[in-house]
Amino acid sequence: MAEPRAGFWQRLQQIPRYYVYLLMAAVVIWQILFPIPLPIAPSSATQGVYDAISAVPDDKLILISTDWDASTNAETGPQTEAIVHACLQNDKRFAIMNLHPPMGVKLANDIAEQVAEQYGAEYGVDWCNWGYKYGFANVLIAMAKNIPKTIGDDFYGTPVAELSMMQGVEDIESIGLVIEITGLATITETWIGLIQGVYGTPFASAYTAVMAPGYYPFLDSGQMQGMLVGAKGAAEMEALVTRPAKASVIMNVQSWAHVLIILLIVIGNLGFVLARGPRGQGAP
Amino acid sequence: MNPEIAILWGGAIATLGVYTILYRENPVSRLFEHIFVGLSAGYLIVFIWTQNLEGRWWKPMIHEGRWYWVFAPVVGLLFYFIYSRRLLWLARLVMGLFFGIAAGYFFRTFFPIYSPQIYACFKPLRADPQIGWSDVVLHNWLFVIILFTVLSYFFFSVSHEGRFGRTLGRSALLGRWFLMIAFGAMFGNTVMARISLFIGRVQFLLSDWIGSFIPWFAGRGV
Repeated sequence: MAEPRAGFWQRLQQIPRYYVYLLMAAVVIWQILFPIPLPIAPSSATQGVYDAISAVPDDKLILISTDWDASTNAETGPQTEAIVHACLQNDKRFAIMNLHPPMGVKLANDIAEQVAEQYGAEYGVDWCNWGYKYGFANVLIAMAKNIPKTIGDDFYGTPVAELSMMQGVEDIESIGLVIEITGLATITETWIGLIQGVYGTPFASAYTAVMAPGYYPFLDSGQMQGMLVGAKGAAEMEALVTRPAKASVIMNVQSWAHVLIILLIVIGNLGFVLARGPRGQGAP
Repeated sequence: MNPEIAILWGGAIATLGVYTILYRENPVSRLFEHIFVGLSAGYLIVFIWTQNLEGRWWKPMIHEGRWYWVFAPVVGLLFYFIYSRRLLWLARLVMGLFFGIAAGYFFRTFFPIYSPQIYACFKPLRADPQIGWSDVVLHNWLFVIILFTVLSYFFFSVSHEGRFGRTLGRSALLGRWFLMIAFGAMFGNTVMARISLFIGRVQFLLSDWIGSFIPWFAGRGV
């Protein structure tokens, strides 16, 4: 005997996942091609990163640890770009380095080169790239005592001690702010446990949205000056540096994608409640 | 062929290939997954050599007369004695060394990481000229209530019977609700992150790839 045909409300709970994917793709493409802009208001966490950058004394460097790779590029790439803009707009010298994964140092280098060109900033004078340094905690412990000896050569193979911006840079006291950009857990704990918590070096961060909730206690306790949360944080930073770019587009599209998700959740739950009937008959 | 065009096409084909997983498990998706893993592994090896070993180990050993660096990899190779029953103790030596380092590292970093967060739990619960009532009630009291109820959820040594036990049980139930709200916020962030990655890929496909042969698309979404 044939199965009785599912009612309308039951079918609402069983929308094939392909339709959900297609709907999502359609909304994303629609908003990329014909955007309906929504306002972006910087949060206090994002403002904290910007303020920490602008408060760095002129005789100190900002160290940007770009510990991300291609898999999180959509979030961490725009974060890196917006942070580099903030550094150069505030006339702060910065160095890029990478603990893991190594792909981040190349991707961040490309971003820094492009942004530096817009400001006429020169490699070795206004910014430099210390390269990928393997060893996590060992690198940080050694770097705190002697930066040129620990880092050795930069990304291009030049000894960092020969770069003009590195003259006078000796140990962790020469660093005015560490900014950690990552999609990996535990690297922050290494920075805070070995550098911020020991030497009091100001620390700020930029995380993928997945991992950010776990790091709010660090923000609340004052261990972090600020935090960029995913593409949202990057878009907010783009608003602060008045350079709306990729993340602003992502967040606009994202808002409409979230509207779709909320609608689908409401429809699914409505179907669930109404399919049960007034006394719960017809519940699956 | 212009290498940049080849890279664009390679990126686009790889992106679409990986996304075929949305239909179902298939060899095309697997192929690109393996290519990505292989590329990452190869990249890691090259970067460990060019950015680390070459400058900090090979050059000093070969060109600067520090011949004793030749013994550095020997210590690392001791790990491989794990495959020999007779010489296993050599592997244990180096493992013991690493356990010691890890324990010392954990001990050293524990207090700088967690003690400021414990201090931050002590919040003023009375308003003063610096903190208004709204801040105290909305932030500090709420924080302390959530802190105690969640801690009570993880307090398993008392059964939820009797007057004290029942009070603890109600507190634990409230704590569980707060935890559920926190997990919901985390899941919401996870959804946001995944969609961001998808949007990033669609931006690439539309603006960079399709935009390379249909100029109308170029620059859209950037």
